[in-house]
Amino acid sequence: MNRVLIAMILWLMVLVQHVYAQDTCNINIKCRVLETHSGQSLFPVSVYIDEMKREFEADEDGRFEIENACPGVYHIHFHAAGYEHLVKELKISANASLKFSLSHIDKELADVVVSDDRVKTIIQSKGNINRLDIVSNSGKTLGDMLQSVNGVSVLSNGATIAKPVIHGLHSNRIIILNNGIRQEDQQWGGEHAPNIDPFLANNITVLKGAAGVRYGTDAIGGVVLVEPSPVRTMKGWDGEVNLAGFSNTRMGVASATVQHGFKYIKGLGIRLQGTLKQGGNYSIPGYWVANTGTEEQNYSATIAYKKAHFGVEAFYSHFNTKLGIYRGSHTGNQVDLMAAINSDTPLVNAGFSYKIDRPMQHVVHDLAKLKVNADTRAGAISLVYAYQHNYRQEYDIIRGTSDKAQLNLTLNTQTLNLNLEHKPIAGISGQVGIDGVYQENYMQDGDRVFIPNYSSPGLAAYIIERYRLNKLTLEVGARYDYRHYEVFNPEGNNQTIVRYLFDYSNASGTIGLRYKPKPNWEWNATLANAWRAPQASELFSSGLHHGAARIELGDKNLQPEKAYSLNIETAYNVPDKLHAELSLYTQYINDFIYLKPDADILTIRGYFKSFRYTQTNAWLNGADASVKYSVAKPLEAHLKASFLFARDVQQKDWLMLMPADRISGGFKYTFSLGKTFKEVFLGVDVRYVFRQWRIPANFDQIDYPRPPADYFVLDAEAGVTIMRSGHPIYLSITVINALNQQYRDYLDAFRYFINQPGTNVVLRLRVPFNFYGLISKN
Amino acid sequence: MKNNIIKYATIAALATVSFTACKKDEVATPTPVEQELITTVKLVVTDGAGFNKTFVYKVENGFGSTSQGTITKDSVLLTPNKTYNVEVQLLNEKTSPATDETVEVKNENTEHLFVYQSSPASGAGSVAFSDGSKDDKGAAFNQAGKLKTDAAGNGTLTITLKHQPTNKAATTPDAAGGETDVEAIFNVKLQ
Repeated sequence: MNRVLIAMILWLMVLVQHVYAQDTCNINIKCRVLETHSGQSLFPVSVYIDEMKREFEADEDGRFEIENACPGVYHIHFHAAGYEHLVKELKISANASLKFSLSHIDKELADVVVSDDRVKTIIQSKGNINRLDIVSNSGKTLGDMLQSVNGVSVLSNGATIAKPVIHGLHSNRIIILNNGIRQEDQQWGGEHAPNIDPFLANNITVLKGAAGVRYGTDAIGGVVLVEPSPVRTMKGWDGEVNLAGFSNTRMGVASATVQHGFKYIKGLGIRLQGTLKQGGNYSIPGYWVANTGTEEQNYSATIAYKKAHFGVEAFYSHFNTKLGIYRGSHTGNQVDLMAAINSDTPLVNAGFSYKIDRPMQHVVHDLAKLKVNADTRAGAISLVYAYQHNYRQEYDIIRGTSDKAQLNLTLNTQTLNLNLEHKPIAGISGQVGIDGVYQENYMQDGDRVFIPNYSSPGLAAYIIERYRLNKLTLEVGARYDYRHYEVFNPEGNNQTIVRYLFDYSNASGTIGLRYKPKPNWEWNATLANAWRAPQASELFSSGLHHGAARIELGDKNLQPEKAYSLNIETAYNVPDKLHAELSLYTQYINDFIYLKPDADILTIRGYFKSFRYTQTNAWLNGADASVKYSVAKPLEAHLKASFLFARDVQQKDWLMLMPADRISGGFKYTFSLGKTFKEVFLGVDVRYVFRQWRIPANFDQIDYPRPPADYFVLDAEAGVTIMRSGHPIYLSITVINALNQQYRDYLDAFRYFINQPGTNVVLRLRVPFNFYGLISKN
Repeated sequence: MKNNIIKYATIAALATVSFTACKKDEVATPTPVEQELITTVKLVVTDGAGFNKTFVYKVENGFGSTSQGTITKDSVLLTPNKTYNVEVQLLNEKTSPATDETVEVKNENTEHLFVYQSSPASGAGSVAFSDGSKDDKGAAFNQAGKLKTDAAGNGTLTITLKHQPTNKAATTPDAAGGETDVEAIFNVKLQ
């Protein structure tokens, strides 16, 4: 044990560059992480500051920067595979440059050190939403929040159901990782929003483009990583209360987090978090939208034990939501649908109400996760087991007065991941691992036809290695997946159960290149592929799509989709002045699955249009660009643009339902009013979305009406940080769609019936609290 | 210590795999039920003087299935220029014995409306519906009524059942609002 302590004696070098007294929160600290013995920069390293609840990541030079820090005492954690876990106390009073050094885990070392790093360091085009962005958008759904990332748009059903679309791809073509676990919540459905409470997250990262190697099948369009901060294990209490009120839906949101680091059991910490949300009907200019209330009750608990030797973390989260579906979107047949589309006003009248009637969804999602991780001489090993239970109930409009749901779908998923982030070998660092999954989907007796029951085990192995040569970093990865499906499908006039077996397997690869000609300028290029097996809905679906009044037919002979993508990105950064990014991407998807119009089908409700799942080859090209520029010191301007060209290669035509081009921009003016009112800001944002004119030539046979007109929406916000006896209170007001514009969006399923929501005034209050115990545990 | 971790990890992994690998039977799909299914519309026509005929419009699988099954579509053969009594019956013949769905619709007559549409709307081959039955609140329900035939000729009669109509006085499905539960199109022959 003494040896451990000796080995843990680390040094800290402080090179104060310029010192000038400050008491506002605009201190910048430049940091660099080095290896103790060689003095070489260390990479990858993840850094966490308790008091700020912020994570940082060192770049290939081991550098990172803490921006806009307030003066005070901070505890900073460093994690790197194969190295000691370092915790340092840091007094911040002025701008400075600091060097930290980490030691190898010594050979004689009997024990290992905890590492809680998450691998986000793969070379890939990224967008990020930090804790500040999350809380300043509190109350929004995850899908809506992600819209602020360039290249991400939203697939929605009115104002309450929103799903992220990355570079034109969504649902089962992207993966959402919730606390490291791949979210399995019937995500294939266009009206199945991710069942995740965004308040859980400390940081949300969007990886754009195929990322099949690290994240497995389905990561064709990209990956959304929803990550909580590490649990406080340092002695003491802290937490945060968030409150938000929305005028449009008269929605109230309350969320609280409490963390405690135990005094007598060093390294043991617990976090409890909960969110309550209730909103009523939303309004569009001139009308209320019938039956669009929302209710949400979520909670989570994390308990973590971090010893010098290894760490265990148990996490449980419960998500429970009830969502009303606009009454007028539920139509009986094609004639009803046309009548609804052609009406200038909503066909169903309503006032304001919190009551949620049929049609509605009730979804419960539970996630239990156990993670064990350890640092060994070989590197950081982690083993993660997770169990997810998703229970989705859909209440249709019925004749009777039954309380029963017409659909009760259960999806149980177990996942297991074993990952080794090995210590660099001859300058090559990287990770290897295996993934296992077992999934069961079943409905209840008496449910309406939806998707068949199935069970599916899967297995995969992967390796990603990285080598750095001066200004160039090369990353190469490979993966092999195997997935088996056993499906029980009811067929024919008597709905006899027929059993099907499917086996899918495929290899994926990735090559990433990073070039940093200057410390503030970098290039990234990623060539990657990903694949996905056809989903049960695509293979077997055979039913009515209520909102669209059409019948969708599966095809049992569908082949897996395979995607190949190339992203090239460059970023240029002048601190406090300019940040510019340009990203170009091209993606070719072999056997892209889509719905093709088929023969009309006669039912007792009349004729219905039918669509059959078919495959083609798709080619998606696009660009995302963004600039942030400090015009004068307190005034900052930003501009973002995103373009997408999505082609059906076989038909030599455009693809259906792809997000339209968009441009957004705004200003933010920040100033301080004395010691009590700090960080006062005023901001304005405009978003302009073009009409989607890139539509197939036979569009009118498939869909009606044509994509909605271009639109522009203006949002405004103001906020202040109020200091009360040294504790900050954050208060803000945001006005969404300030001009009460009437507009519709092509990717909103309710575009057929109603406009987008009108003006929404949001009031937000955030109160963090923090009670320190003694200094660091080291 | 390290070896122990790896050992336990391996045991945990194996345990997970073996405990999940043997539950095959539980996931066999129960027979799905299209709730409140209607497969058959019967138009019962009488003249109070011995004429009593039932015309059937049936889609074997009704709704919610990939295949419609057998379709039965009787032609409504009636005498020109005559007034008949008509009544609509709804059945689910997927159950055995068949379920009479008319009962439930009648129980909720305030939430339902039958709409009769003739093509041509008037003249030879057309039929006109009148004197429709009322719901519990005295508004139109039209499950039964009178049908007056016009001059000899051919046409169609579309019977639509609307659920939660927004306008109970409507005479066309579009004007009625709500959603369509049944749409049966009979061929009409007046001779």
